[in-house]
Amino acid sequence: MATALEIQPMIDYRHLVQDGRLHGSLYTSPQIFADEMEQIFHRGWSFVAHDSEIPNAGDFVVRRVGTQSLIAIRSKDGEVHVFYNRCPHRGATLCQTSSGHRSRITCPYHAWTFALDGRLIGLPDEAAYPADFSKADAGLTPVARMDTYGGFIFVNLIPNELTLREHLGHATELIDALLGLSPTGRIQLSAGWMKHKMRSNWKMIVENQVDGYHAPMVHGSLIAANRTFATVRDRKPTSPTRVRDFGMGHSDIDHASDYRAAGDRLFRWTGGIDPERLPVYVKAMNDAYGPEDARRRLIEGPPHSMLFPNLSLAEMNIMVIEPVSPQHSIQYTIPVFLEGADDLNARTLRRCEGAMGPAGMLIADDAEIGELTQMGVANLEPEWILLSRGMGKEEVLANGVKLAGLMDETSQRGFWSHYREVMAASQEVSQ
Amino acid sequence: MTTATLERTTLSAAAVEQFLYLEARLQDEHRYDEWEALWASEDTLYWVPRRQDADPAREVSYIYDNRARLASRIRQLNTGVRHSQAPQSGLRRLISNIEISENGADVEVQSNFILIESRRANLTTWAGRTTHVLVPAEDGFRIKRKTVVLVNCAEAIDNLAFLV
Ligand code: FES
Ligand SMILES: [Fe+2]
Repeated sequence: MATALEIQPMIDYRHLVQDGRLHGSLYTSPQIFADEMEQIFHRGWSFVAHDSEIPNAGDFVVRRVGTQSLIAIRSKDGEVHVFYNRCPHRGATLCQTSSGHRSRITCPYHAWTFALDGRLIGLPDEAAYPADFSKADAGLTPVARMDTYGGFIFVNLIPNELTLREHLGHATELIDALLGLSPTGRIQLSAGWMKHKMRSNWKMIVENQVDGYHAPMVHGSLIAANRTFATVRDRKPTSPTRVRDFGMGHSDIDHASDYRAAGDRLFRWTGGIDPERLPVYVKAMNDAYGPEDARRRLIEGPPHSMLFPNLSLAEMNIMVIEPVSPQHSIQYTIPVFLEGADDLNARTLRRCEGAMGPAGMLIADDAEIGELTQMGVANLEPEWILLSRGMGKEEVLANGVKLAGLMDETSQRGFWSHYREVMAASQEVSQ
Repeated sequence: MTTATLERTTLSAAAVEQFLYLEARLQDEHRYDEWEALWASEDTLYWVPRRQDADPAREVSYIYDNRARLASRIRQLNTGVRHSQAPQSGLRRLISNIEISENGADVEVQSNFILIESRRANLTTWAGRTTHVLVPAEDGFRIKRKTVVLVNCAEAIDNLAFLV
């Protein structure tokens, strides 16, 4: 006879995630959170770091993916490795700081020492081990799969069926659009990450990243205080801006559609800076892409997007969402520097500080609303969250991408329909 | 040290302390315009770095406000609908370990603070070391530069929408 402890009620994700509504428990249940860590973060592809964060051999960063602490480090041959942050001897944490530089990795407990490629190269009193002990079998453990696109490094801890390219799907176009603002096609994430405690479920942050509905209300105080942070010209329901559902849970708010409709002005996405003030960058773009294509890129600007499950290309910032518990998350933010654009980068840095992070005039208010929403959904009624704005009115392109109006919830529905497939599929296999 | 120098130092130290306490009270009580009026009218910097010894030209800071950006921040708070400070946090801070040095006409002041923030059911402790560069004015001082290095600046921090 089964005891109560052995009965794990099966969560019916196809019931909790419906086409135009969501069950409130998706944001509060510890069991759902635990399922997500495994099914989405450990069995799926997640962003872990960018190549430019660890430019030299020995540079490393420590990141959390799901419940796991990982070290991304560059070895002497220039390769990037991602290891579990755990000593193979008796389990001590190897790297305590969130970033740094090492010529080798030495465990603080018994000083086992590892090369940058993970090989165990030394340990005190090796002779005391039995004859069958082999240093070759006691190196650092790499993650099961690692792959990169445009310098963005992704990992998959429990192998799944998908290649990274299949996981990214149409979202590669978003990464391409960001890289295409650099005259060399490369970005540098070198300014350091702001880390912001969010008192809300990670999925609320995902949803808010591509929410075109809230800005005039939540950010009215900033729009009133400083117009240059309001890059989008038209936020009315009739706005030409589209939200897009790319499939695989990826979505964006296509500000380029607004910038194009607003005529041929360059740099709306920087708050409308005069191109004459960025001579180095503009010349480098013209040289790299020719005047006509450079002009298009400088009108359209960077993507405003959310890549499933944790990476947001947030205009000239990268944001990463780290789930902590059902009610807590950490949001990481870094400004995007474009290689060959020092004059623009200096401005990007100051704009990032103005808008983003815990003191930012934009994001602090999103954090507050996230907290209020988290507190709200803890109430048991009315049970369902409504997510049906614009439903059934989307335009579907031949490649399957769905377009809708700026204030429609098509982008969030794109996230949730993929979420439902990922979460339900795991149970349907195990049944 | 002559008696005259000692007297002058003691007096100015008391004046500097009084100025820091005034500033702290205006911040604690969200008296935004009065706080902004403590700043010099141009060429100022309000800086909250993300790590000790950061290079603000290359690294992102939590706050790096020149005079115009500071004015925007105050205008935003004054709208009353800056959600992260509507309602306003309950704040009280203690300032201590004050060290004063003179640098030409400027007065450089280092101090420690502990700040308690009450927001909903949470009490959050903030602490750090502040460096003020003050210029003497007829009625006291004006702030030319203020740097606040939080003890946990390199870790994840909560909303910092009040004046620190
Ligand atoms: S636990 Fe790492 S050397 Fe023993
Ligand atoms: Fe927002």
